[in-house]
Amino acid sequence: MSRTLSGVGATPRRGVGTVVWVDRESEDAEDADDADDADDTDRSNDTAYHERTAESSAVDHHERASESPAAEVDRFEAATEAAVAELDVERERTAERVGESEAEVFDAHKQFLLDPTIESSVEEAIEAGKSAETAVWDAFAGPIEQFEGMDGMMAERADDLRDVRDRLLRILSGADRRDLSALADGTVVLADRLTPSDTAQLDPEAIAGVVTAKGGRTSHAAIIARSLGIPAVVGVGAGLFEVDVGVTVAVDGESGRIVIDPDAETIETYSEDTAAAAIHDAVETADGTSIEVAANLGSPTEAAPAIDAGADGVGLFRTEFLFLDRGEPPTEDEQYEAYHEVCAAFADRCAAAGGHVVVRTADIGGDKPIDYLGLDPIENGFLGARGIRLSLEEHAGLFETQLRALCRVAGSAVGEHLAVMFPLVSTVEELDAAIDRVHEIVAELNAEGVDAAVPELGVMIETPASVMLADAFADRVDFLSIGTNDLTQYVLAAQRDLDRMDDYHDPLAPAVIRAIDQTVQASGDAWVSMCGEMAGDPALTALLVGLGIDELSMSAVTIPDVKRAVRDIDRTEAEALAADVVACETRADVRSAIGLE
Amino acid sequence: MERVVTVVPEDGLHARPAATFVETAGTYDATVTVAPADGSRSAVAADSMLAVTGLGVKGGEEVVLTAEGSDAEAALDALEAILSTTVEE
Repeated sequence: MSRTLSGVGATPRRGVGTVVWVDRESEDAEDADDADDADDTDRSNDTAYHERTAESSAVDHHERASESPAAEVDRFEAATEAAVAELDVERERTAERVGESEAEVFDAHKQFLLDPTIESSVEEAIEAGKSAETAVWDAFAGPIEQFEGMDGMMAERADDLRDVRDRLLRILSGADRRDLSALADGTVVLADRLTPSDTAQLDPEAIAGVVTAKGGRTSHAAIIARSLGIPAVVGVGAGLFEVDVGVTVAVDGESGRIVIDPDAETIETYSEDTAAAAIHDAVETADGTSIEVAANLGSPTEAAPAIDAGADGVGLFRTEFLFLDRGEPPTEDEQYEAYHEVCAAFADRCAAAGGHVVVRTADIGGDKPIDYLGLDPIENGFLGARGIRLSLEEHAGLFETQLRALCRVAGSAVGEHLAVMFPLVSTVEELDAAIDRVHEIVAELNAEGVDAAVPELGVMIETPASVMLADAFADRVDFLSIGTNDLTQYVLAAQRDLDRMDDYHDPLAPAVIRAIDQTVQASGDAWVSMCGEMAGDPALTALLVGLGIDELSMSAVTIPDVKRAVRDIDRTEAEALAADVVACETRADVRSAIGLE
Repeated sequence: MERVVTVVPEDGLHARPAATFVETAGTYDATVTVAPADGSRSAVAADSMLAVTGLGVKGGEEVVLTAEGSDAEAALDALEAILSTTVEE
């Protein structure tokens, strides 16, 4: 019977393999000063790579009497020297195998190790009769606690301090360094947490995945796993300790899930190495047309994996996540933080690749019910009041709050590449009203003395009406964004969530292809983006470039393949292909023109 | 001797820039301290990684460096250069 555990995806790749444990014990035992408790909770004898954890070493040595203060100081100094030597070696190896910037964490470790405050506090404790081990343990305890109490990146310094402390304790205990460089092929490494040096030893060819109970996706270990391309899920929690050695585990670093004892079908799916190497540069066709390849995001946490996958920007940042699963709408500041976070994450990429961060205002209604708004499945369904229709009428207050947050981000240091678009617009009046609201809100904010700016503005092309009015829309906004999922539903009048209608949900239906073509033809000076599933299919990239789409936006995982496809395209040939496809009258003809059958 | 410097690295005075900063401070005879320019925290020893990192100085913030000793000026020059260097991510 398979089970699933969820954490945070650190490397957006998948793998399946056999569990080997490193450090099965939780460091929660840190709080337990009692040596007996520590022994009772030790259930790690069955782990292949178990090493005594730092706290049990410290506890053991607590009872070890100090030889003499002078001898203990000598032991501490020798251990420090040995630790520096190890760090130098690991720094070199990591620089070689992973990269210079990942190696620099060892410089930080070295400076923590050599910190005069630590040194003097260890020496004082030794003078007071403590063993070197106890003195080291105590000297680090205060700083670790202090950093843990701080936010974000500072909290991760606590991990650095633990690594340094544990290294010293291990050297003092005379144990060898943990060697993870020669694990068997197809190993999934499970750990409470991994140190950067543990992670840097892992062989990407052999290791099928890494899963940790603790740690975030910005921990050094996660960053190194990502650089090595090892599928990784971090922060799974204590449930991980229930997974035994030798068990088969499938690791999905995209969704952040692991499947324990997966069935045959899952094993097959996870075994396919779907991840292609990311291309971090902007790409152009073989004959020099730049195509922006961007990511669709559902929340700020998806920004980092998208950047890792080589996204030039964000073509669709869905904001509904802010509104769902809660009892009341999000505040302006909460929204500001979320939009600012994504803009900040992409600032460098957008500047280098000419990309944007396109935020769609809340597309509520349709298939996205929100309890506290009291929406009705029919009244606010696919053909009812949803998207911009709600934003301009009964939920104008939500719209205003969201626009205030967005315009403030546009006026911030990272706001240059922000773009905002409106969903489900079907009339020019709606678009004019929405644009007016943005300008009014910027004026209000400025009058309040708040920094704000009008971002680039765009409109979703999702309805037949918007296709027919694309020229009028293009005169009013900076860009058009074709949402192929809804466009297919509305062009073919076939509701998305009805099984009976599945066969109609084909963006390669001639009517949809022609709607896309008409939109591009009518777009004038506005740039045209596509953000539906269709945009992420590398088999269709040539067709879309030939149709004249400027930006393709998709799930991060397909970005490398689509970027590769762009580089192979000859623009003239792609345009000829698009002309052939636009002329097709049946789905079968479209498929055969593209060469899909 | 005192100097006010803006911290350029986006991540602030953390892991990497901090390590270089602390290591460099330790190579001079001068006693160097660092403090946030807004006076929110008192000055700490520039050769202590714990103390420097613990200040939580962010990118774009200003710090006050002080140095006392024969090579104080050289120390300040070197430390200012480190704080003014953008870190490649």
